[in-house]
Amino acid sequence: MTRLIIESAVLSGLALAGLMIAAGANAYVVQLLFSTALAVTLAVGWNLIGGMAGYVSFGQVGFFGLGAYAGALAMLKWALPWPLAIVLAACLAAFLAWPLGRIMLRLSGIFFALGMFGLARVLQIIVNALEITGGPMGTSIPTAEGPGATAMAMVALATGAVALMMAISRSRFGLRLAALRDDAIAAAAAGVDTSRVKVAAFCLSAGLAAAAGALYARNVGYIDPASGFAGTIELQTVLMVLAGGIGTVWGPVLGGIVISLLSTALWARFPTEQQIILGALTLLLAVAMPGGLASIPPLSTWLRRPMLGAFTPGAATPAPAPAAVAADHAGAVLACRGLGKRFGGVVAVAGVDLAVAPGEILAVIGPNGAGKSTLFDMISAFSAPTSGEIRFRGALCAAMPPHLLARAGIARTFQTSRLFPHLTVFETVLLAAASRQHRFRDAQQAASALLAATDLADDAERFPDALPPGRQRLLEIARALALAPAVLLLDEAMAGMTAAEIARVHAVLRAATRRGTAIVAIEHVLPAIASLAARAQVLDNGQTIAEGPPAQVLSDPMVIEAYLGGDEMALAS
Amino acid sequence: MVSIIALVLLGLLWGGVYLLMAEGLNLIYGVMKVVNLAHGDLIVLGGLLAYTLFAHVGLTPITALLPVALVLFALGAAVQWGILERIPLGGAEGELRTLLATFGLSYVVSNTSFLLWGGQFQSIPFLQGALRLGPLAIPEGLLACSLAAFAAALLVHFWLHRTIAGKALRATAESPLGAASCGLEIRRIRIIAFALGAAMAGGAGALVIALVPFQISSGGDLTVQSFTLIALGGLGNYLGAWIAAEILGLAEVLSQYYLGPDIASATIYLLFIAVLLFRPQGLLGRLGRI
Repeated sequence: MTRLIIESAVLSGLALAGLMIAAGANAYVVQLLFSTALAVTLAVGWNLIGGMAGYVSFGQVGFFGLGAYAGALAMLKWALPWPLAIVLAACLAAFLAWPLGRIMLRLSGIFFALGMFGLARVLQIIVNALEITGGPMGTSIPTAEGPGATAMAMVALATGAVALMMAISRSRFGLRLAALRDDAIAAAAAGVDTSRVKVAAFCLSAGLAAAAGALYARNVGYIDPASGFAGTIELQTVLMVLAGGIGTVWGPVLGGIVISLLSTALWARFPTEQQIILGALTLLLAVAMPGGLASIPPLSTWLRRPMLGAFTPGAATPAPAPAAVAADHAGAVLACRGLGKRFGGVVAVAGVDLAVAPGEILAVIGPNGAGKSTLFDMISAFSAPTSGEIRFRGALCAAMPPHLLARAGIARTFQTSRLFPHLTVFETVLLAAASRQHRFRDAQQAASALLAATDLADDAERFPDALPPGRQRLLEIARALALAPAVLLLDEAMAGMTAAEIARVHAVLRAATRRGTAIVAIEHVLPAIASLAARAQVLDNGQTIAEGPPAQVLSDPMVIEAYLGGDEMALAS
Repeated sequence: MVSIIALVLLGLLWGGVYLLMAEGLNLIYGVMKVVNLAHGDLIVLGGLLAYTLFAHVGLTPITALLPVALVLFALGAAVQWGILERIPLGGAEGELRTLLATFGLSYVVSNTSFLLWGGQFQSIPFLQGALRLGPLAIPEGLLACSLAAFAAALLVHFWLHRTIAGKALRATAESPLGAASCGLEIRRIRIIAFALGAAMAGGAGALVIALVPFQISSGGDLTVQSFTLIALGGLGNYLGAWIAAEILGLAEVLSQYYLGPDIASATIYLLFIAVLLFRPQGLLGRLGRI
């Protein structure tokens, strides 16, 4: 809380200083202020998609140019008052960014980065070819009042952008962004609509860049394709974020101020070498100081992402009960029929039937490569079956995306832990709880209660890499349970656990089944789950080879053959 | 009819130059799983070096190929050894940092070129005549450059597949850890790969400047063009890269002719985005690997 007050005070101070300079200083200083505030806005906007969401873009200047032209044309052709034109430009860019984001954000890494570069170039080519934009010669915009008014507006925009980031970093949306950046698959398994989250970040980021562009056009009173889509803007934006601290709230502000002043000074002294120096600086930072200024010791603790909520001991609500578990007429909550998956010529799963009733624990065992994890991937919608059907509560759940399935009540863990390196234990569980709970405060209560129940409360503020492997797996189970699932899929969840940890997990799982949760547990070997499961199903080569009570299954000759390699002569001799 | 045949021929010849441009990028991507964003600027640099060699020494683009490639080889080795090697590889973090580093490098290279050569368009007048085949006229310069590009691309292909050093490089591309456990010196191989990639960029630049005038700011476009090609061809797939180069050459020439230069310059980006969305595994996918 105190941190929020300090941050708000710093932001208000900066904004106030900016406004006073804009009102009183001479024209040169006001222009300097304008370009600094512009830099901060661009850096903060780029950081939202490139840093917080983890989608580095080399085409952010496309939205800047789009905003500049949209604003200019709204002022010229429709004679809109300039503040309104700027809002319109921002809305237009955010609106266009929605379908663009749906398409482009299916890409990632270098593909997204260069795809965005390409998109910006296409926009530039279009603007260059159109008549209404003035073609390659550009368009002039009448500026009536002095630079003070636009500088004030720019300072206000930058302040608003930073305030927005402060709010996002403390919200459910910010938590989801952080999870998305760390591991999109695990985030989906925790019920996060990853596509929606990143598209929303993309739209906000585009809107900020466009508003900055429109104000820029208003300030210089002139816009042409070369200045609206200048590579320099892209370079400086990326450099500012990198220099300040990528992915942090205040890094881009710091980087924006420092780099903007630096590049103005360079421009005055070395106009021809300026870009070489800025490029070299980018290179140097990427190699030597990728965390930017925000990674330097005193700053690194001040500028760290604020932690969301805290464990409250004795939280009133118990772990939430699963949504009323409805079974189909055969009594199963989850029923798979003839489920199959082939990868090219390889058949991983060949027609598996599987059914589990509310409150039941089913063990799925089998040797390596039997198709167990592929089966889970299909049930949790991370891969589409090539044959067969899956019914959840009697209804077909084909074509349901993983996050919806997770919210509907099928939760899973992963064979190799997929935890979020930058989320604390509490935040990890909170993320999943917030997918279910409508109110964020309820989600915090639920997360606290679950941490207490799973014995993770002492580690609430730790990051996953500080936990021993057994507790990491326990955290993954807690994250799945936070979804209050009707069906819990555990993929070798107890591998690498100590006996005490296994006992703890067993208690947690028993409590879940008492509330009606059905559990399907994959284990490579049976003992880890035998004492718990009423029924075991053995897979080999993608098919069910035995089914029944664990003790009976273990003595089945086919099961022994599957595990021992089936060379009976060798066994006999 | 004749004009269509001429255009197709033109497109196919251009494909050779595209292939040489992209193979350098492909090599670097293959070994380091990172796109060198300065690639296009290295192409421009190679072209301008060839221009200087032509203007002051009188070398033709073909004879300038080797010296230009050698200079770029040295430059590439220096960049990899002095800069990129310092970034620990692996994971999204390493990829991001290398990407940002080459992004910065691209501005360093292009603006240094700007200081040395200025911003105006440069070109080399070379073999201005045309070869007449019945009603068809094929520009001699394009023919020579295309053949040189094909020869250079083939030479590198041969080196990669038939020599121990080339195989070591490909092994590193497939699995650095596996290659290291076979006793290969990964660091040296990465330096050679980057240097060779830069050399091919420079060689391609020397040829392209004889065909179309160059400008400093063409670098970004050339990077995307080359990247489109390797994405279209399927990363690390040489037959695919060749087919993609021909498709790109045809698309460029045909859209220039029928749609005009404005739309033609947008075509490449639209093609690029379409490829990424609909054929992310490339044209031939896993099938046509040779």
